[in-house]
Amino acid sequence: MANARVIIKRLKAVKNIRKITRTMELIATARFKKAMDRASEAKAYTQKIAEIVGDLSAADLSFSHPLLQKRDNEERVLVLVLTSNRGLCGGYNSGVLRQAANCLRRLEKSRKNLVLEVSGKRGISFFKFDGKATDKQYTHFEEKPSFEEVDELATRFIDLYTSGAVDRIEVAYTEFHSVARQSAKLETLLPIQDLSTDDNQDQEQAHAVDYEFLPDAEAILKEIVPAAFKAKLFKCFLDAAVSEQVARMIAMKGATENADEMIGDLSTKYNRARQSQITSELSEIIGGALALE
Amino acid sequence: MIAANSIQLTVVTPETTLLDEQAAVLQFPLEDGQIGILPGHAPMVGRLGIGELTVTTSKGTTRLFVDGGFVQVKGQSVTLLTNQAHQLEDFSAAEVEKSFNEAIEREAKTPFEQSTKQHDIDRNRKLLSLLNKS
Repeated sequence: MANARVIIKRLKAVKNIRKITRTMELIATARFKKAMDRASEAKAYTQKIAEIVGDLSAADLSFSHPLLQKRDNEERVLVLVLTSNRGLCGGYNSGVLRQAANCLRRLEKSRKNLVLEVSGKRGISFFKFDGKATDKQYTHFEEKPSFEEVDELATRFIDLYTSGAVDRIEVAYTEFHSVARQSAKLETLLPIQDLSTDDNQDQEQAHAVDYEFLPDAEAILKEIVPAAFKAKLFKCFLDAAVSEQVARMIAMKGATENADEMIGDLSTKYNRARQSQITSELSEIIGGALALE
Repeated sequence: MIAANSIQLTVVTPETTLLDEQAAVLQFPLEDGQIGILPGHAPMVGRLGIGELTVTTSKGTTRLFVDGGFVQVKGQSVTLLTNQAHQLEDFSAAEVEKSFNEAIEREAKTPFEQSTKQHDIDRNRKLLSLLNKS
């Protein structure tokens, strides 16, 4: 029979863990709200970029830019993996890493040269364990990636791509659709496949306006393509940050609920153990009293 | 058509929407020179340069420092997309001068490094002249 004292100890431990997971859930919720606000504020910029791109395409321009051209033989491929610095966030990291590992396997099969860049401690330790060398590691992107930091990274990517050091850039991250749905995804960043977003409505309206381009449409195109790329990369980072908080929130909610269930179970067990202990003590006393007579 | 008498100005950076208000007059630098916008301007898309954005509203004037980007004029609304925009008062002359000197002395070997160096020099020079003027 389980000793009542042992059960009490365990019960206390579970209660403590519940307190911790509950607090983590609350923290993740607060951080999620902040990250969400940032992401929605950033949306205005991407939308406007898409609008101007739409305006440009309405102006009958042939889109040609080094960042848009697909190269015939892709020799070197850069893969950027966005994971979190901290764990305890459910399947968030494993989802991204599964995508990344699949991609790496494919690339290895086709004997491509690989440049691997990882953001987040979780991803770094995963690749270390896997025995894969990472070329660059970042741990400074927390739940609030700033545009300045991403800009630095993006400028380096553009430089690498235009100089021909890499022929394709892929990113593995978690895309945020809604609070209930996020999905790990592998996306090609460069060459840019599709500049205009699926907002056809904006483009329809743009057709109606006859713009004057200063200094000329070519020059604007030259500048807007890198800007669109930067905005896209920034969106990846923001999405990843929001998804991480959501994943942690849900994981911690599950943990708290499980702890609650366990507390219930353990209290029932404890009460039973206590009662049977009292019963046996009573019967011992009665037995002793009977023996004295 | 009745001529509009105000501009709906929006200034957005990748991180946030900085300004969203009614303005009477705008002045900002394009890549090849200063431009002023009054209500009823023809539709336009342009590249921004480095320099000062002056917004005159009914309440007064706001001065911002913008560093590259785009402008879109469409009907009554004017949108400025820029990577960086700060209040001019946020900069201190001493700090700008320090980073200006750092940029001048920085070694730049690759074309990429040279272009960032040139950009930093231009930016800080412009900023210095603006700060000294005011």
